Amino acid sequence: MPIAFEQVNYIYAPKTPFEYEALKRIDLAIELNKITAIIGPTGSGKSTLVQHLNALLLPSSGTIYVLDREIVANQKNKDLKSLRKKVGLVFQFPEYQLFEETIIKDVMFGPLNFKVTDEEARQKAMKALAMVGLDPSYYERSPLDISGGQKRRVAIAGILAIDPDVLVLDEPTAGLDPQGAKSMMELFVELNRTHHKTILIVTHDMDHVLNYCDNVVVMKKGEILTHQQVNDFFFKGEDVLDIEMALPQRLKFTEALRAKGFKLTDKIRNVQELALSIKKEISHE
Amino acid sequence: MNNIALGRYLPLNSIIHKMDPRYKLLSMLILMVTIFLPSGYIGYVIIGVFVLLALLLAKLNFTMIFKAMKPMLFMLVFLTFVNALVLRTGYVLVDVLGFKIYSDAIFRTLYITVRLLLMIMVTTILTASTKPLDLTLAIEDLLSPFKRFGFPAHEIAMMISIALRFIPTLIDETNRIMKAQASRGVDLKEGNFKEKIVAILSLIVPLFVSSFQRAEELADAMEARGYVPSATRTRYKQLVHGLKDYIMLGSVILLLGVIIWLSL
Repeated sequence: MPIAFEQVNYIYAPKTPFEYEALKRIDLAIELNKITAIIGPTGSGKSTLVQHLNALLLPSSGTIYVLDREIVANQKNKDLKSLRKKVGLVFQFPEYQLFEETIIKDVMFGPLNFKVTDEEARQKAMKALAMVGLDPSYYERSPLDISGGQKRRVAIAGILAIDPDVLVLDEPTAGLDPQGAKSMMELFVELNRTHHKTILIVTHDMDHVLNYCDNVVVMKKGEILTHQQVNDFFFKGEDVLDIEMALPQRLKFTEALRAKGFKLTDKIRNVQELALSIKKEISHE
Repeated sequence: MNNIALGRYLPLNSIIHKMDPRYKLLSMLILMVTIFLPSGYIGYVIIGVFVLLALLLAKLNFTMIFKAMKPMLFMLVFLTFVNALVLRTGYVLVDVLGFKIYSDAIFRTLYITVRLLLMIMVTTILTASTKPLDLTLAIEDLLSPFKRFGFPAHEIAMMISIALRFIPTLIDETNRIMKAQASRGVDLKEGNFKEKIVAILSLIVPLFVSSFQRAEELADAMEARGYVPSATRTRYKQLVHGLKDYIMLGSVILLLGVIIWLSL
């Protein structure tokens, strides 16, 4: 069973003066084993949407299908914990969820909650920490004494150790330096390609969408504007300008060159192709 | 966490909302005294009508008051029970197998219920119609005469307003951490005692860490802008009072007079 939303509404604080409709009749199907980016301006409902995936928020109306689970509005939903084992959600600035005395204990916390043995939890934690690039010398250190970027890695390892099939990340690179952000995104690609995880990333960075993601969902004011493949999105491109988000650097550069009269090939998928195309153009003259 | 009705500001557009917070605070204090005077049935009917009128003027919903009353329900049941056991005056109301419940037990409980209800209504009107920051300004102004005796009116008002300012932030933070830990398999409802302790720890520790961080950042930000607690300063927000405020305070004082006269 895939991941799908059917006519999902979500209303914050219903029947109070603070009532707010965050999701409006959402219909969406997420492809498994792909990296899907969710973009949109602040307040467009991205975070609300992803919190439905592991039932932290339950729909006000509509139905959500996640793997083999079905979540229907206004029904008692039992055993949400088993869903949370399969869908791991990493919040924005996940550093604040660290609380154990040592890093290894903190990463083991998730697996232990899902009733595995101590030994198994330790194995999973070590594997997860290795994936995020933290070596055994960190295991016994306090998670509160390391740098911000490392804290972020520990927090993500805390979810990876649970070994979910679907990994959902809310702005995982916010506040990281460019190099840190790059290696973080490469980690997600790696998880997708070699561990076959379905990955959803909420992001503001269009370069990350272009360089690392397969599909893109664009949200605005609680609705879905478009959902398509990244290549189609950027290269057919009518919708791009409508969402008040900056174009990726590479596309901006290409457009600027075209405006100056450069004749470049139509679909440029990466920096190498761009360089080749420029080289060809220059050698023509 | 999101349905705390007690003490929450509701942004409505009513005459009570527009009144001077100093007068509102004073009026509330006087009303509190009035409610606690032993004025008998007629007195409580008069106060009740007065408070209901204020509730209507503030455009507040009666269901809100009931929501705020809910946590008190247990207390009231307990009180009825104790009163029924202890009070042995008045006439016998019911006689269950030799156990007598006296009329005074019921009346006394009713008395306390009415007082509690009125008190909650009065405080709800104040907090729902006044922004927390305006309220602290009012507290500062009303306490400022004591400054000459070395009473730190401004500092206390500042502390209160900072505390109030961070309540919603901390509620949001708590929600966020709860959700983040729920994603890691924490279940606050199920599990044995030890698991529950760990679950609560996983919430409390991050909350403490971030609160201290926030406090430090705020202190730095205030110092960077040259904040000195005891310095004299002007205010951007000026509290203005007018005819409607005098009328409100006047009518509350009149009510107090009537109730004092009734309870003599």
